[in-house]
Amino acid sequence: MKHFFIASILAGALALPAYAADYTIIAPANPGGGWDQTARSLQTVMQQEGISGNVQVQNVPGAGGTIGLAQFASQQKGNPNALLVGGYVMVGAILTNNSPVTLKDVEPIARLTGEYEAIVVPAASEIKSMADLVEALKKDPGTVSWAGGSAGGVDHIAVGLIAKAAGVDPTKINYIAYSGGGEALAAILGSQVTAGISGYGEFESQVKAGTLRLLAVTSAERIAGVDAPTLKESGLDVVVENWRMVAAAPGLTEEQKAAVTADIEKLAKSAGWQEVLKTKGWQDTYLAGDAFKEQLSKDVSATEAVLKGIGLVK
Amino acid sequence: MATFEFLLQGLLVAAQPMNLLYALIGVTLGTAVGVLPGIGPALTVALLLPVTYQLDPGGSLIMFAGIYYGGMYGGSTTSILLNTPGESASIVTALEGNKMARAGRGGPALATAAIGSFVAGLIATLALAFIAPFIVKLALVFGPREYFALMVLAFVTVSSAFGDSTLRGLTSLFVGLTLACIGIDQLTGQARLSFGVPDLLDGIEVTTLAVAMFAIGETLYIAAQGDKGPETVEAVRGSVWMSAMDWARSWKPWLRGTFIGFPIGAMPAGGAEIGTFLSYAAEKRLTKHPEEFGNGAIEGVAGPEAANNASAAGTLVPLLTLGLPTTATAAIMLAGFQQYGLQPGPLLFATNPQLVWGLIASLLIANFMLLVLNLPLIGLWVKLLTIPKPWLYAGILLFATLGTIGANPSVFELGMLLAFGLLGYVMRVFGYPIAPVVVGLILGPLAEQQLRRALSISQGDVTVLFTSPIAAVLLVIAALAFIVPLILRARGRGEVLAQLAASED
Amino acid sequence: MNKGNTPSVETRRPDRAALIIAAVLAVIAGVIFWDVSRLTGLAGYSQVGPTTVPYVIACCLIGLAIWTAAEGIRGDFAEREPQQFGPVIWIVAGLAAQMLLLNILGFSIATGILFALTAGGFGKRRLWLTIPIGIAFSFFVWVIFAKLLQLSLPAGPFERLFF
Repeated sequence: MKHFFIASILAGALALPAYAADYTIIAPANPGGGWDQTARSLQTVMQQEGISGNVQVQNVPGAGGTIGLAQFASQQKGNPNALLVGGYVMVGAILTNNSPVTLKDVEPIARLTGEYEAIVVPAASEIKSMADLVEALKKDPGTVSWAGGSAGGVDHIAVGLIAKAAGVDPTKINYIAYSGGGEALAAILGSQVTAGISGYGEFESQVKAGTLRLLAVTSAERIAGVDAPTLKESGLDVVVENWRMVAAAPGLTEEQKAAVTADIEKLAKSAGWQEVLKTKGWQDTYLAGDAFKEQLSKDVSATEAVLKGIGLVK
Repeated sequence: MATFEFLLQGLLVAAQPMNLLYALIGVTLGTAVGVLPGIGPALTVALLLPVTYQLDPGGSLIMFAGIYYGGMYGGSTTSILLNTPGESASIVTALEGNKMARAGRGGPALATAAIGSFVAGLIATLALAFIAPFIVKLALVFGPREYFALMVLAFVTVSSAFGDSTLRGLTSLFVGLTLACIGIDQLTGQARLSFGVPDLLDGIEVTTLAVAMFAIGETLYIAAQGDKGPETVEAVRGSVWMSAMDWARSWKPWLRGTFIGFPIGAMPAGGAEIGTFLSYAAEKRLTKHPEEFGNGAIEGVAGPEAANNASAAGTLVPLLTLGLPTTATAAIMLAGFQQYGLQPGPLLFATNPQLVWGLIASLLIANFMLLVLNLPLIGLWVKLLTIPKPWLYAGILLFATLGTIGANPSVFELGMLLAFGLLGYVMRVFGYPIAPVVVGLILGPLAEQQLRRALSISQGDVTVLFTSPIAAVLLVIAALAFIVPLILRARGRGEVLAQLAASED
Repeated sequence: MNKGNTPSVETRRPDRAALIIAAVLAVIAGVIFWDVSRLTGLAGYSQVGPTTVPYVIACCLIGLAIWTAAEGIRGDFAEREPQQFGPVIWIVAGLAAQMLLLNILGFSIATGILFALTAGGFGKRRLWLTIPIGIAFSFFVWVIFAKLLQLSLPAGPFERLFF
């Protein structure tokens, strides 16, 4: 054991310059997921850009982020040095899990990145366009199996919205939930299911390699560099964005809020962050202040309506 | 052949002295963190990834490969010596490995684990280099019904970890299956058996259960024996090194473990632990020394350890060829690769050969450094057993809780650790085997979800479960594995089997 | 690990522990039935819904409970070695103390107490000596994992003295 410790100290001393203590970022998910990656990227960039000295990331996994949210709201109350990473998935999870703590109990600072959903089919599929898919769905919703993330998550919500817009009963959709993007992607590539839905990034390299056919994206307007129509163009009035945000603790003074907002703005505008967005393929959807809060409340009510439609929320 | 040239080039770069040092630091750090009970490879890699960012791309890739293999291997040392597997893939190692350590054969057990990991890592990494595109096609054929058949097979083989009583083995398994139901049902989003407690919504963490049942349960049980408990463990009896006999009995399990572990690791919903279960069951059926199984059979360490490491390399197959992160560890690795400008996906081998071969060369070097680090340390590790019991077990509990706190610092999680520790103790007192509980927790949800997915896709048509050729073959193997022992027993060889069963404890 | 498994021929009295275990298994099965009955079917297109598997498990648990009770009544159930409960209580107290004190006093002190009480369970009862040793060792571990390897371990007053 001792030898390891000495070696670890050496390596640690080589690799990590000392800093003064500063922000703690709560990632309400296990290591590896989108929120964890966002938190760890924030950590790297904040230290790189000198916004903060020492940044610690803490994983509080569970229940679509609602456990981390509840813990953050109660334990960090009034702490100006604590940040929480979160996103659209939380909105749905709060509703399906009946979470007593909601996003109203924290102080959303800014939306940082976002990703649009993409609808794909295997390259060999007979379905060539969104219109074909909608037609099959209308004919018999049971025969169209959709692979996506967990039940009640953003992928499921998007399928519900599509069904509704196409005039199909959302409770009749045949949605197959998978635990992670990888597993769902394997099922689509192996033609185990009819269609797949997930963030565009998950499918990008497959679409480019020609193993998946991209039918549509869920953005309001076409995405630069992506050769696919929006759902609106395909005649379905659906826009879904899976955004990620950063929130501060409740009970901060106006000054403290302003200081955190300024730090996050500095981060979002920094070259380091732009570089991260580029390497990870994340869209820059920075939106702060009241504009963000307004969008948030819109998302909450729309999501509640669709989850009720699917039958996941009573 | 261009492939070889790229690989040689990569090896030359990776074999530079500075890069060898980075590889050594990587495996040391990876092992040091991975050895903690409760911290699996995913968290190890996530924690240590930033360390590698400070280096140049070549060096960081090598250190990263070292961390990955080190983290995968780390858990086996504590499994063997202290009966405290740190992650689900080393649970099976503890079954035979700890018995060996208690008999003073900890040295050979650690050696066969280390060399087996090396052999498996070597073969699997080479397989990754040369037949990845073929393997991945095979893996994609696996849909829900094929996975369901695989889980049925895994369930049948679990019985080899049952111990001497079918009743107690089954009871343990069903305790595990009950625990597996806790949490949000993934397919419908409804909470089951969580009684409104938000901390239960995500179910019981496998590592928490394993650490509690093995590390804490074991500590309580040993303490409750008082002075008349098992006499002090003899650290080394005979040689600390493997004998010719050990070698002769190890090499086949290493190879079998590799061939079981690699394809299962490559399957998007496989997971390292299933390979280790199947390898253990296979060794138990094939061994010439069945009487030793349950009392420290070296085959039972060699096979599963090789399977574990082979599946670590197997995980990289879908990651590199399809950009599919199939485990949490792989998802973090994906983030790491992006940092080095490597965009995994179907075009990677074509567009970025240098980096891919550089990575594969790094993995080979890291695998080698792991052996260099661990073989000399075996003598030191077995001395751990000579630490007086009060300090040894105080240290075990310190590191066991450290792992849990580091992964999720919540009072509730520590409470579960305590509760399951007590359960593990009570089960030991009444002679219930521990491994089936953890196995049930792992396999239960997989089997249930795959079955429901298969039926959902077929819109309720049950026949699909048997009409796929792969699923049918797997189910037939499972049926044979179940029925053949029954027939043997019926034909009067029952005494032999009963005797075998009785010699396990 | 349990050396007392050889079934003994003499004891043919009903085994109370086995009956208690059987009862516990039956109660667990009951809890599953009760909890799962509130779920809505919501099976979608699969006839195996979210409730099917729990019901099957509960039925099997009842079967196992009957089997266990039968062995207990026939006296076939596993024989146990007598246990000493003192050491168990020491260690459980240590784990409970760590759990409750962790977020108040920080990692080093809470874990130091666990260390000392565990050693106490194995006979080292001089707490005035073992608690400081435990805290010092835990602090050393904390520095390595929390400071050098960035693992998030709660800090308390003791850690803040130094960092």
